[in-house]
This record gives sequence, structure tokens and C-alpha cells, in this order.
Amino acid sequence: MAPTASLPLLEKSRLRSLQALGVMCGFAAGAWLGTAEAPTKLVRVGMSPELISLLMVVGVFLARWSLPALARGTSQVYADAHRAPHLIVWAILAGCLWAVANTLTIFAIRDIGLSIAFPLWNLNSLLGIFWGFVFFHELREAGWRRWLGVLGGAVLMFVGAVLLALASSMQAPQGHALQGVLAALAAGVLWGTMYIPYRKAYLTGMNPLSFVAFFSVGELGMMTALALESTGGLGPLWGQLAGARSVLFWLAAGGFIWVIGDLFQQYAAKYIGISRGIPLSNTNQLWGLLWGTLVFGELHGRSASLYVQVIGGSLIMSAGAAAIAFSAAPPEEHERWQAAAIRESVLYGTDIEYVRAGLEGRAGVRGTGRTAIAMLAIATLVFAVLGAIARAPMVDLNAPAAVVLLGLIVVILVLCGTALWQTTKFS
Amino acid sequence: MHNRQGNYERRWWKVMLRDPQWWVPLIVLAGGLMVLHWIQ
Repeated sequence: MAPTASLPLLEKSRLRSLQALGVMCGFAAGAWLGTAEAPTKLVRVGMSPELISLLMVVGVFLARWSLPALARGTSQVYADAHRAPHLIVWAILAGCLWAVANTLTIFAIRDIGLSIAFPLWNLNSLLGIFWGFVFFHELREAGWRRWLGVLGGAVLMFVGAVLLALASSMQAPQGHALQGVLAALAAGVLWGTMYIPYRKAYLTGMNPLSFVAFFSVGELGMMTALALESTGGLGPLWGQLAGARSVLFWLAAGGFIWVIGDLFQQYAAKYIGISRGIPLSNTNQLWGLLWGTLVFGELHGRSASLYVQVIGGSLIMSAGAAAIAFSAAPPEEHERWQAAAIRESVLYGTDIEYVRAGLEGRAGVRGTGRTAIAMLAIATLVFAVLGAIARAPMVDLNAPAAVVLLGLIVVILVLCGTALWQTTKFS
Repeated sequence: MHNRQGNYERRWWKVMLRDPQWWVPLIVLAGGLMVLHWIQ
């Protein structure tokens, strides 16, 4: 079918502000995704990888159905589902990919250690750049400087990630090297591919807050299926959950924090594309390291050469992120994104005005607050119950440092949230 | 939402089955599940 619709070019000033917003969201995503590791560090019990992943997903599910609703009401979700029902299936598929990848990473850490596993699955950046180029016209007509910035930046980030991961490995991994490497690589491929549905949804005009709501259904469904399969049924799974009740809160809290990071990641994917958005959100490793060293004292008393390695790795990673941040899409490249969006619109018959509004970051339907308050109340109740049966962690931590880092990410949340609201009304 | 031919509701899932962008994540998911099954 020949394309019959066209989109007017976006004003340069609007394009610049959307790109700056996307970069900001990418860095904010890194901060919150990295912080999500902190609550899971409080859990030091022998739980199966599937159970840890399932409990995090419970927190994710609660957050995903309450926070987006609070921000924009629930009418937007229904409106998006009506305008582009095929994207519901895509979002559920992306959720399934996330759940399998997350479970694989837990196996990878167990078998080969974080030091090798983390850089391996962070290769998802390169895969994201590949899919962005092949399917969504990203980096087309971008010029060699931007190519160099994005690809060079991604490679620098990979080198920095290797250095940091080697430095942060606290103990030698045990056994099953081949399985661990395969698990980490598979996780990277799954996560890198998961961004195809993300990008498809945002080129079509779907609101990220609607996408994550359906995404979480796939995530929870797949994770429950995996947990049921590995534990042997509902009875044994319930038994394990009851046995782990004292740590449920911490894992669910990790999931909740993760969602805030993921929301920023979604907006980054929407406004700067997956080729730039994924590498920027991979700065989560820097934040994970900050929490590990400053709050949990993971590198305390280690050799000076190790600190040099950590500082060097962080600087290289930051340089890579900066190179990508300064390689924003020029108007010519954005025109190619629009061509990809028109192709989606023609293929699936979606309203071109809906596609245009999404690309320009203009507000769609705004909902009422009643359902949102009800959802937030349910989420609060569940967390209150989990909190009541939780046990205080028996882990030494540097409380002042934790307060400073928490304060910092809250400031990032407020700044980035305000910018998102002012520029796009969360659309 | 309907397209200009007014048949969006009827055909989106058929379009999806012919869309290569749909099959890539689906095949990757199947591969991921196989790897997970193997290492468990």
C-alpha cells in the first residue's frame, strides 16, 4: 500500500526541546534504574531467581498501574487502546521479553558473577542501535559526526562498563561458566529486542504511560508462569512466598523504584529514539556502583589501584554517555523518523493526527483523578501490608550517604518530571 | 480507530502477522525461553 499521508516538519525549536528532554529522561532513567538495585541488596536469603524476579515484578505491577494513572488519569489508557489496539499485544510481548531477560540475568550473576555478566547484557545498546537503524530509520541522514558520537559513545560505555564491573566484583563466580555467559548474552539480546515494541508504540503515537500499563500485564503473566513452572505449582510457590514474607517488601520496593526509572526510559526512547535512549539509561551501572560503594561499603579497604580502575571506568562511561547526549537527531534524521511513523500509520490504519500528536509530544486525552486515587490507594495498602510483615535488614549501611543519594534522585525526579510536564504534559 | 477504508478493527491482527517487526521479538522470546529452560 502506498503512503498517502504526510506530516509537516517539526519546528526546529520544538525538535530541540524534545531532544533535550529525551536526553534528560535518559540520564534520569539511569539514576532510578541504578537505585532500584539498592533494596534488593538488603535481601540476603537463599531464594530462587524466579521468585526474586516475580516479587520485583509485583512491585513493578503495582507501580505501573498506580503512578501513570495518577499522572494522567486512566482515560488516556482507554483512548490509546481504542486507537491502536495492536499495540496492546506489542506491549504485552515486550513485557514477556523483559521478564525472561530479568530472570536470565539472575542466573548469569549466579554463574559468572556481576563483573562478566553486566557488560555482556549491556551489549543491548549496540543491538538497540542496530534495530533502530534497520526498522525505524534512526541515524539515517544523521551525518558521520552523529554516527561517530552514538556508536563511539556506545563502545566507550561498554569499555567503562567492563572496568566498573571488574572492579565491583566482590567474589569469584562459581561453576557453570558457559551457562552463565549464554544467559547474560541472551538477556542482552532480549532486552535489546524489547525496544522494538517500545519504538513502534511511540512512533505510532501511544502515550508511554499507557504502554507501560499493558507492558506490566505481560511482565507479571510471564513471570508468574516461569515461577509456577520452576517451583512446581501454585502450592509450592505459595509456600515459598510465605517463607520469604519478611523480604517481600524490599523486593517489591526495588520493583517500584525500577518503574520510575523505566518510565523515564520510555520517554527517552520516545523523544531521542532507541539508538540514543538505551545507552543513556545504561548509566544505571554508575548509580548502582555509587550505592554499592557509598552506602553498602562494597569497596571499603580495597587497594588504591582498584579505586583508580573505578574512577577511570566511571569517567570513560560518562564520556561515552556525553558523546551520545551531544549527538541529537538533526531535522533531516527526524524527517526519516516521521517517514517510519507514516509507514506504521498506513500499515495499521491509525489516525495520522494521532501519530502526529504523539511525535510532537502534544497532550492527548486527560482523565479524571478518581480511578487514579483508587489505584494509588490499593498500591499503598499492599505496600503497607508488606511493610508491616517485613523485617528490618541486618545489613550494615551508611545511612547519611543513603539519604544524600535518595535526595539526589528525588531532585532528578522533580526536575525531569517538571520538564516533562511543561514540555509535553506527560504525553 | 478506523482507517480511511473503515476496516481497521477487522484487520489489525492480520497486518501484524505479516509485519516482520512482529516476528523478530517473538522469535527472540522463544529463543530466550529455550536458553532459560536449558540452564535451569
